[in-house]
Amino acid sequence: MNTKLLCRGALGFLVVLTALYLVAPVFFVIPTSFNDSSFLEFPPKAFSMRWYHAFFEDPAWINSTLNSLQIGVWVTILSVILGTAAALAMIRGRYPVKALVSGLVLAPVLVPYVIIGLAVYAVFLKIGLTQSILGFVLVHTALAVPFVVINVSAALVSFDERLEMAAMSLGANRISTFLRITLPCIAPSVAAGALFAFITSFDEVVTSVFLAGPDVSTLPVQMWSGVRVQIDPTVAAVSTMLLLVTLALFASAGLLRLFRARRLAKAA
Amino acid sequence: MSQNPSTTSTLAGTGVSIDIRNVVKRYKTMTAVDDVSLTIEPGEFLTLLGSSGSGKSTLLNIIAGFISADEGSIEVGGKNLTKVPPYQRDLGMVFQHYALFPHMSVWDNVAFPLKRRRVPKAQIAERVQRALDTVELGHLGKRRPAQLSGGQQQRVALARAIVFQPQALLMDEPLGALDKRLREQLQLEIKRLHRELGTTFVFVTHDQEEALAMSDRIAVLRDGALVQVGTPVELYERPASRYTAEFLGESNIFTGRKHGVDDGSALVVRPEHVRLSAPGAELPTGHNAIDGVVREVVYLGSGLRVEIALPDGRHLITRSEVRSALTPSPGLPVAAHWHPEHALVVRDDTAA
Repeated sequence: MNTKLLCRGALGFLVVLTALYLVAPVFFVIPTSFNDSSFLEFPPKAFSMRWYHAFFEDPAWINSTLNSLQIGVWVTILSVILGTAAALAMIRGRYPVKALVSGLVLAPVLVPYVIIGLAVYAVFLKIGLTQSILGFVLVHTALAVPFVVINVSAALVSFDERLEMAAMSLGANRISTFLRITLPCIAPSVAAGALFAFITSFDEVVTSVFLAGPDVSTLPVQMWSGVRVQIDPTVAAVSTMLLLVTLALFASAGLLRLFRARRLAKAA
Repeated sequence: MSQNPSTTSTLAGTGVSIDIRNVVKRYKTMTAVDDVSLTIEPGEFLTLLGSSGSGKSTLLNIIAGFISADEGSIEVGGKNLTKVPPYQRDLGMVFQHYALFPHMSVWDNVAFPLKRRRVPKAQIAERVQRALDTVELGHLGKRRPAQLSGGQQQRVALARAIVFQPQALLMDEPLGALDKRLREQLQLEIKRLHRELGTTFVFVTHDQEEALAMSDRIAVLRDGALVQVGTPVELYERPASRYTAEFLGESNIFTGRKHGVDDGSALVVRPEHVRLSAPGAELPTGHNAIDGVVREVVYLGSGLRVEIALPDGRHLITRSEVRSALTPSPGLPVAAHWHPEHALVVRDDTAA
């Protein structure tokens, strides 16, 4: 009895410690962002909103944020289309060299980003794609596709193919069957893949450092140089805002799921 | 597609014939369907009966268009459909595990085939309601499939498969996932639907009782080949082979050894035709008899099932009424006898 209690206590302590370790950066970043000092300082001495003002008044920050959003949206759209198609080919397709195709599609996850960044830089420099939105979109899409593929193929494996047979026997052709039956059934996984894709792009710094320059930059690159070059507390303000946006996103996703479950329970 | 507006006032359609001609389907290691030819009459209820691996489901899927045959052709209503994709065949299909669309309400599931055919909205509402009423689920249209019981789900699947008045209805072990009581209830309901619609039904099952109870004709399949086709009465009373005799109902089999030579035939006597008397008692004239000892008596309510041990170590099964001249009990010596007209000589095809 006593040993059991002791074990539980130790386990609880470990859990709390791990949780603290994971969220510790937040406890540093949020107070720092409200500090009235020109350096990243902890603990903060006086309250101020000046670094939030700095963010919104500096076109470099605003432009890089808009760039990141724009790139993220394009990457999400492209990688969801490509990734879903690739997952269908990998799970449903019957053709030789299937394993090779799967390996190639998933390769970007395994190859170190530095190597990808370097290789892409060498090629893009020649064809003039560095410091362009298109260049970022192309590279980020390659990195994001595997996440969509992994999510969607897992859903396809558990999807009952007889639903497609039923739809076809009822007069739906292949396209109609996919759009009305298959896609709605795997939609939650496609949405999860889309979220992963957006975050992959929005968060990407390694390959982006190679592609960015004074003309076109992204938010993570801007933050990275903000810390490296000037130790600018604006970074803390940006981080805090990003944290809020992420929290809001996940909370609304959770609420949506709760709402749907309620509605289903009510209909019963 | 319904061209004639007057047919929309009722769900009934006219049955079409289905011609299966020399259909062959081979897989790497086995022949799933082995040169099957079969004509299903317009409006007929035909059951494809066989154990697992007999090719019955493969054949149904070839008719539906989900599997392409290596050889042979499928004609429905005189039209060759061999190369027509499933969504243009206009055949209703019911699956063992219902295959209802989980993201749609019951109503939308049933409306699906009508929407694909661009039926006007007002007609869709009317026909969906009537189809749901036909399976007595008219009040559950708003539910999701997951909120229904297995029996209800299969009824929705039935409604969905008949609402567009298909040329024929194909059913792949539709009752296989249900418990016995529900199965019997739905058997009656499917029979009623068949009677009311007049559509050609092709039903797949491995359950011989189900096949006997429901079908106009039964096609027995074994290892991909057609063994025998006939009405339930024909198959039960005049099986052409030992396999059919053993597959449909209980049988006593005596392998044919005329003068000690195996001539490839077997003698079949159904248990209900075997009568019991005391040994030495006078038997009805002309009866064949064999002496044995009662081994086991099972009370079935409606009668008795008696197992008799024969001198050569085999055993014989009889069914008799509870009140008969002789009350069998284990250990009692008896004479089992039957009229020769109930002893059928059939081909012994079980060794193969």
